[in-house]
Amino acid sequence: MEAHIYIEARLGILGSVTDFTYKWCVNMGLDQTDAARMALAVDEILTDILLYAFRDETGYVEIWYQYTFSEIEIIIQEMGEPFDPGRHPYSAEKAIHENDFEGACLEVVRKMTDHFLFLNRGKDGKEFRLVKRFASLDIRDHFAAPLEEQDFDVEPEPDENYLLTPVTSEDAEDIAKLIYRSYSYSYPKEELYFPNLIDMAIRHEYKFGTIVRTVSGGPAGYFAVVKSTDSMIGEVGHAVVSPPHRKRGLMKRMMNKLIEMSRQRGLLGLFGEALTIHTFSQKVNEKFGFKSTAMVIATSPKRTFKGMETELSDIMSVVIDFLPLTKRWRKPIILPETYANLLSEIYSQFEHVPKVTAGKEKSDSEPIKTNLDLNISYEKNSVLIIVRDVGSTFEASCKRLLRSIEELEMTSVYIDLPLNESRTNSAIQWLKEREFILAGLMPLFHKETDYFRMQRIRAEVDFDIIQTYTEIAGKLKETIKNEYNAIQKKGSTA
Amino acid sequence: MQYKKKDQQLEVVLPGDFNLKAVRQISELLGDRKELKVDLENSRFVNSKAVIFLHNLMIAEPAVVVKLKNPPKVFYELISTLGLHKEWDLDHIIEP
Repeated sequence: MEAHIYIEARLGILGSVTDFTYKWCVNMGLDQTDAARMALAVDEILTDILLYAFRDETGYVEIWYQYTFSEIEIIIQEMGEPFDPGRHPYSAEKAIHENDFEGACLEVVRKMTDHFLFLNRGKDGKEFRLVKRFASLDIRDHFAAPLEEQDFDVEPEPDENYLLTPVTSEDAEDIAKLIYRSYSYSYPKEELYFPNLIDMAIRHEYKFGTIVRTVSGGPAGYFAVVKSTDSMIGEVGHAVVSPPHRKRGLMKRMMNKLIEMSRQRGLLGLFGEALTIHTFSQKVNEKFGFKSTAMVIATSPKRTFKGMETELSDIMSVVIDFLPLTKRWRKPIILPETYANLLSEIYSQFEHVPKVTAGKEKSDSEPIKTNLDLNISYEKNSVLIIVRDVGSTFEASCKRLLRSIEELEMTSVYIDLPLNESRTNSAIQWLKEREFILAGLMPLFHKETDYFRMQRIRAEVDFDIIQTYTEIAGKLKETIKNEYNAIQKKGSTA
Repeated sequence: MQYKKKDQQLEVVLPGDFNLKAVRQISELLGDRKELKVDLENSRFVNSKAVIFLHNLMIAEPAVVVKLKNPPKVFYELISTLGLHKEWDLDHIIEP
């Protein structure tokens, strides 16, 4: 459960905020000591904001509490006096000998969190980001050596004897074992190796899905939808059928069940992130009516899993495939000039398409102020900027935000722009001048609105290993490749 | 906040965390007494402002004797983070 609070920065409210922080952290699955550490980190920052950022003036602070399967993140934003933490390092020597405790607050915050980030967004304020990862039992620790076939239900049951049921938190350990036994160490979603994380996600209804069991109760397959926290859509992912039970149509049965469950829950669409190192997932998605809308070039940091000699590949490019579950797109769109033809072609794949309106710059109904949200994935070394409102200040705000994240040296920066605002057109032009290239259409991705994604990749991309299945995915790849190569060429001649 | 004032001693049982608000309340109650006892049974953490406050009491002239009861685990981490674990005589500060 994500939360957002807006408070006046005054001493009397500090205790309530830290109480809430502690309880939220415990509810999300942190143990009590880690929850106390996060509550302390929040208290330290708020206390300093209260004492130094606003001094005698009335000021306000916004706090976002965000959850993912592997970590929680608390984001504190304020618009008080400018401050540079780099200029206030803590020194224990000075504290002891000169009674100078300057920098103590942030020293404590760094120690209490697993990751701490300070972003100075200029006129858009300051942002403190505190991350704590879940300490969970890894299912891989249960097994001293890779399992042999006999550890699993070797004898598959007759097809009619498989039982499909909705997953519950009690299935968590079986799901983790299923992943491990089917993929060993190679499944890309690492959180699925941790029963506690699966349990928590199911209990908080972040995901729902189906599990297939044999009549003897052994798990044979699992398929789940991860609900978006920002829109009424979900991601189909986390799919596994154990080897002895493959080629029995289980994946098809589970996918049909998932689509049915998604409709029952009122989701407007489902999307899949199909890996491009092969075309298997893209083919499956296409078979179920999903249409390719974007290609996201992503990298993940190289890591060596326990027991493996080699590092996993760092290229994790995906095709976004989308299946609408509604006949009516609620919001009309404005096609940006540069990509109007491509977007029209993407939309034409669907039976029902949103109404296209003519864009007129500086419409009266459009916002003046720009509203940007920042999501950082430390694991994938990437940043997603969601443009909620493309105001007249877009360029200045975006420039400040990009500058503030520059030192993070992220490999990928993505920007999602709303397709229902006319200023998106000029924003795309501006971003193209700053080395952003096409990614594609992200249907209903934020607040039930269609978004256009652009991406900036600071890594060498080998397009020869990117495999596409659908015609549109192929076109997206070609356009992205051309734009990427043009930037590389420009860079080498500069 | 529950507290008991004796001649030269202030005993406090904090209802919650040892934060800036608690520091200000204790500071007001303490006056020029020479000993401060704080029971942290209900505290999940002690923040850096509280540690600095206690540190200043202990190095003041004349010094205030500080005794802490039931400190949470995070307190020890904080003392260590600030490099005070060797400076503070925890055997005397922490009451069994």
